[in-house]
Amino acid sequence: MNTLRLILRELRHHRLNALLSLAGLTGAVALLVIIQMTTTAAARETRRVMRDLGFNLRIIPKATDMDHFWAHGFSDQTMPADTVTRLAAQQGIFVTFNHLTPALEGRLALGDREFLLTGVGDSVVGPGEAKQPMGFKIARGHVYLGSTVAQHLKAKRGSTLPLKTRDFNVERVLAESGTEEDVRIFTSLADAQELLGHPGRINEIKAIDCLCLTADKDPLAQLRAALEKALPEAKVLQLRTMADARARQRQMTERYARFAVPVVLIVAAVWLGLLAWLNVRDRQAEVGLWRALGHGSTRIAGLFLGKALLLGIAGALVGYAIGTTVALRYGAELFQVTAKSLAAEPSLLLWALVLAPGFSAVASLLPALQAVTQDPAESLRAD
Amino acid sequence: MITCEQLSRRFRGPDREIAALDNVSFSIERGEFAVIKGASGSGKSTLLLALGGMQRPTQGRVVLDGQEVYALAPDARNRLRAQSIGFVFQLFHLVPYLNVRENVVAGLPDGAHRADAQRRTDALLESLGLSARARHLPGTLSAGERQRTALARALVKQPAVILADEPTGNLDPANAAEVFQHLDAFRRNGGTVVVVTHGDDAARFAQRTLRLDAGRLIDSGTPTSTPS
Repeated sequence: MNTLRLILRELRHHRLNALLSLAGLTGAVALLVIIQMTTTAAARETRRVMRDLGFNLRIIPKATDMDHFWAHGFSDQTMPADTVTRLAAQQGIFVTFNHLTPALEGRLALGDREFLLTGVGDSVVGPGEAKQPMGFKIARGHVYLGSTVAQHLKAKRGSTLPLKTRDFNVERVLAESGTEEDVRIFTSLADAQELLGHPGRINEIKAIDCLCLTADKDPLAQLRAALEKALPEAKVLQLRTMADARARQRQMTERYARFAVPVVLIVAAVWLGLLAWLNVRDRQAEVGLWRALGHGSTRIAGLFLGKALLLGIAGALVGYAIGTTVALRYGAELFQVTAKSLAAEPSLLLWALVLAPGFSAVASLLPALQAVTQDPAESLRAD
Repeated sequence: MITCEQLSRRFRGPDREIAALDNVSFSIERGEFAVIKGASGSGKSTLLLALGGMQRPTQGRVVLDGQEVYALAPDARNRLRAQSIGFVFQLFHLVPYLNVRENVVAGLPDGAHRADAQRRTDALLESLGLSARARHLPGTLSAGERQRTALARALVKQPAVILADEPTGNLDPANAAEVFQHLDAFRRNGGTVVVVTHGDDAARFAQRTLRLDAGRLIDSGTPTSTPS
């Protein structure tokens, strides 16, 4: 009788042991699938939330007068507009910087008052990333108004705003943010270059740091080193509070996975090992009998490890199905922003089908070795 | 057929070494029905397992059909057991999740000719009165049926020798007699039978009775051509 048939018959006979082992494997696979799916969703959620917080890096010309910069909110120096494409073309730059957005800012008189004019160009993102602009994408001839500006000018959406010699369409009035955004007028980069008299120039590249930077390794030093190499004529400022919030959020997600995965694996390994050991103990006399019938260690180990592999395959299939169902059913409540992007990950099934049988076999290895090495004479005395 | 030379087996006890077998030597010829008698703990079962290649002696050697059993590599010893030795145990040791027929087939060595095996299995089930129980699991059988299944498993490979450890210890006299009759039939067809027992139920089939006491062979018996 072949080994597979013997294993199937034994599984049916020792149903409780088989079911408990299967439950352990299924539970472990399901939990790991849930952890993986929710961790991915959490990372996506973190990226979205952090992106919504806005840019946290400002790359400005190195010669900027910092007193002027902090007093007026923009650099008094400019750099060529193609600086951003030059920066983006640098090898590995997106490891540290992302969403590179050229901007030109300056003061613009309007009637008896001055406002901050910000021209925003197209964002450049890392290869393979969705090209969702982080800031505004404003067409030429259109403006976005900060709430204070709109209030002062009594402008609303759709009204016309004359700026210098041209009329602009007010496309959007921004909600009050309680920041300097409230006193800004946003235009396209080309319009701002024209209005501020700096054609082909920018005075800032807004960016966001990579989520991979960690606070414990001084991210600012890493950013500065990367920029010094890529763009020696510029310097970078980091909005530290925002950057730290990003790092903490990311680390929290990672810590959750780092804690949960080993716990699940250890508990499952102990559970499976214990059940395999009980199975070997229950089958001590049977092992002795197979020896008496002339079967060698390979065949006997095969009975136990083959069983572990079969249970691993079944546990992977059932665990993946349960884990995916639970993650899809309850994940949407946990991750409301990215709920729609919470999806089954078929690659996890492949991983589960490879790893669960292997894990199950490793957990059963010691009991299987015990079966192989036990004294057949002693085994035959057991019943 | 089977030769034991100065066979000793010692176990480490809690406070001293225990000699389960002490310098045991004897020979059993092909076609002989030998009974090894002795009280509980006299070393009978250890001797039987040592003869079957399952209990390596501390010293001495076992020669079966010209092959020194413990000089063989583990694989070769497994093959020898699979092809030449049939075991019958007091506790039957049937595989609980295989039915009667499958338990019998489990006794066949790997690579046995399928049609021959089928025919022999059917014949054995028939001759041992187990045909009607062929699809039953061991848990549903009587003690006599279990031991007859174990006997069929030992016989199906057509071994050179059957080693039986208290084969009737859990049986009533009628079933015990039936088991011995089957073993005797095997012997009459040229097989060798070694039975260890502490009772007298095998006496009428034995051609030779060896006696063990505290691991020592105190009587190697006199072979007779007919059962005593």
